[in-house]
Amino acid sequence: MALRRGGIGRDPTLLSTLVVLWALLALFVVYPLVVLLIRAFVDDGAVSFAPLASVIGDANHRKAFYNSLLLATLVGTFGTLLGFLFAFTATRAGLPKTWLSVFDAITLLPLISPPFTTSIAIIFSFGPRGLITHELLGMTGTSAYGLGPTLLSETLTYFPIAYLTLKPILASIDPNVEDMAYSLGASRKRVFFTITLPLAIPGIANAFLLLFAASLADFATPLILAGNSFPVLPTQAYLQITGLFDFKGGAVLSVLLLVPAVIVYLLQRFWVSRRHYVTVTGKVGPQSGYKGTTGPARLALVGACVLVAIFVLYFYALLLYASVVKAFGANHAFTLAHYHVIFTEGWRAIRDTMIIAAFGMPLGGLFGVVVGYLIARRNFIGRDALEIATMINYALPGTIVGIAYLIAFNDPPLALTGGALIIVACYIFRYSPTGIRATVAQLQQIDPSIEEASHSLGAKTGETFRRVTLPLVLPAFFAGLGVVFIRSMTAISATIFLVSISWTLITVRILENMTELSLGPAAAFSVFVVLAVFVVTGLVSAALRRFRAPGTAPVSVFGT
Amino acid sequence: MSDAVGIHIQSVSKRFEHRVKGEVYAVREVSLDVKPGELVTLLGPSGCGKTTTLRMIAGFEMPDAGRVLIGERDVTHVMANERNVGFVFQSYALFPHLTVFENIAYGLRVQRRAEAEITTRVGEVLTLVGLSGYDKQMPHQLSGGEQQRVALARAIVFRPRVLLFDEPLSNLDAKLRVAMREEIQRLQRALGITSVYVTHDQEEAMAISDRIAVMNQGEIAQLGSAEDLYHRPNSVFVAGFIGRASLIPARIAARRDGRTELDVLGRSHEISVTDIRFAPGDQVRLVLRPEAVTMASHGNGGIGGTVEARHFLGEKTEYRVRIGGHSIQIASQAESFKVGDAVTVLLPTDRLHLLPGES
Repeated sequence: MALRRGGIGRDPTLLSTLVVLWALLALFVVYPLVVLLIRAFVDDGAVSFAPLASVIGDANHRKAFYNSLLLATLVGTFGTLLGFLFAFTATRAGLPKTWLSVFDAITLLPLISPPFTTSIAIIFSFGPRGLITHELLGMTGTSAYGLGPTLLSETLTYFPIAYLTLKPILASIDPNVEDMAYSLGASRKRVFFTITLPLAIPGIANAFLLLFAASLADFATPLILAGNSFPVLPTQAYLQITGLFDFKGGAVLSVLLLVPAVIVYLLQRFWVSRRHYVTVTGKVGPQSGYKGTTGPARLALVGACVLVAIFVLYFYALLLYASVVKAFGANHAFTLAHYHVIFTEGWRAIRDTMIIAAFGMPLGGLFGVVVGYLIARRNFIGRDALEIATMINYALPGTIVGIAYLIAFNDPPLALTGGALIIVACYIFRYSPTGIRATVAQLQQIDPSIEEASHSLGAKTGETFRRVTLPLVLPAFFAGLGVVFIRSMTAISATIFLVSISWTLITVRILENMTELSLGPAAAFSVFVVLAVFVVTGLVSAALRRFRAPGTAPVSVFGT
Repeated sequence: MSDAVGIHIQSVSKRFEHRVKGEVYAVREVSLDVKPGELVTLLGPSGCGKTTTLRMIAGFEMPDAGRVLIGERDVTHVMANERNVGFVFQSYALFPHLTVFENIAYGLRVQRRAEAEITTRVGEVLTLVGLSGYDKQMPHQLSGGEQQRVALARAIVFRPRVLLFDEPLSNLDAKLRVAMREEIQRLQRALGITSVYVTHDQEEAMAISDRIAVMNQGEIAQLGSAEDLYHRPNSVFVAGFIGRASLIPARIAARRDGRTELDVLGRSHEISVTDIRFAPGDQVRLVLRPEAVTMASHGNGGIGGTVEARHFLGEKTEYRVRIGGHSIQIASQAESFKVGDAVTVLLPTDRLHLLPGES
């Protein structure tokens, strides 16, 4: 009996909040997208498909389009397989708690790392003087560029998304359901293929689409690893703009990228996400543990996971090592020079990033809580439209958002490019959905009668929000804030178009270091980012525990 | 208490949009007067409109038609926070981020009471509900019964004029439920607060209420004391909802000197009940309560029947007996009858209620 109180007419606070929100969304979400489409399709005031035709006619661009889809499909497939392996092992192999924590920490690493981390490690390992190819196997003239290395890097970077998607789904399958199948005479293999796997299919489809979208939107990895022989759309659009100053071509290419991105997003949101099976039937009785694995199978599962985990850890160890030696591959003498470089020459990037994050965090957190509250608890005209508008920049590949912002805010009266404001706005409107969904989830766990109780005790709407609702959604606020910080430290695909002489970012500095082949400072920067993100997410998690409303499920900073 | 006020519900209706059926009435033209200091229960199956009625008294829902008065004041369109009504929720709705003390103090803080007064009054009410010393506990540290007491304390501490209960005991286990309902009754009597109580549990309603309004499909089917409803139900619905009843068709054969002669299953049966609604020749139905019917071995007069089912319950044994094509329930002290036994059923001559026959 959820009660939605108050219409717009009766509530001036609601009305003014909505006006402000819509003005912001119109300016920073709708307007840039419209400008992008106009730039791509309108010539001299008339709709024209000539630029589109010319882009499609270009063999290199066509190749980029196919390559993007191929790469995304492969990353989706392998990443989901790897994620399922980890999720199944974590939920079914009966591992002790400490093992699981180690698993979680290792799978978290790629999610909070700067974009080039695995790329650097792959070059160090498989390049012409790579640790594995050259030093270990004695091969010469090997290349760490092309489809293979890109696929490896993206799979290792994004499989944790599949793990995080699939783990709760596998864990939510009632063991009694599997026990029931055993009692009916089914073998382990049969139970896996007839019960466990079918129940996980929606989750697997969801994980695949999420990985597909992530790979499609990935800009940093192909920029470093794909090389000339394997162009993909985001890098192609970037080079079109920064190399050729062809804004129209860049706009058209990003529209080309928009099509599969939108299709995948719609599939994920409106088809797969509604197909979750609920296996909670009736009262949950005493449950036994899962019995999904025998000794040898368990050994194989755990072994495979440990191998992958060691591989991931090896990458990070390599990064750390490369950051403290003079020149990786040539001179392995210990030095702190690279850290000296990033805190002197690179200091401006660190400072700018921190300032931008410091403004983006509270604003992004607040934006998430306000929008989440309105969506979950208020009834007003255009609520669905508001929800969709807040999701757009999140769902679009960063390259599209970056190019759209660049084109939209380059000229007066909205000449915002070059300033910090545009970068802050980009983060807020691109990364608020985590905070929004955390708020909605938090409020859905809180019985609306708690707010009614406050009303019946004499408190007005405002006082109820301040005394009851706000303290209860505090965890969601911190979750939203944490995500904005992580992204400020790690995102590049959109903001690469928005940095300037006066404002730059750590991630962009890393890219510059990579192109200058000063890999030492790049590694040092990456280590710094990983540590900073670890420290801040630790603080945020502590805040989440401190402010978590008793009896509600914990909120995660790493919403997918 | 002298300052208790009555609640007056006048022809209140509430409609809502049903996904399949279109516009339906949750509550239809309900009128009810609760006397000052009285506890009235709204009793009925789920979906009968009892909770909606309660929420309209609280101000959580606004009626589409009709008026709600608390005392002399028309509160039909007054917001919940201005009605001075205490509400005890089914889910307790304790504020999970506040201590027991702060939960209870909430209403007083909203009223901007002085700190000293808040401490005193919260302390008093904690003692009243038997939770002294629990001030600093968080809600999730409490058992269900303790949470219930906090919810109760929070609802009475600001001295509301009216106390409303929405199935407050349905989340407790059976033993605790009995203890808590006695506690609620004791508190309500001691404070003399006019109360409306919603439940679907007829035993709870009968134990706690001054009067019960049985609701069905958005309307009040019958209003009366527990005894009224049990012994004199006005419909088959009420007869079946309050206690258990077997219905047997009969015909009024004659009426004389405060006695009525019935024709039951082809036999004559005289009862000491006269119901002026019925005249000789009318078809009626007998409302037979299980404990009012007796049974004996075959051949002792009465109506012949066969035992269909037997359930030994300890303090009594329940039988289902088939007589003349009808099954009736009998609660008996005799334990010895077995399924299939031929028995004789003796209908009561005084504790018998008549309803109109099926038309």
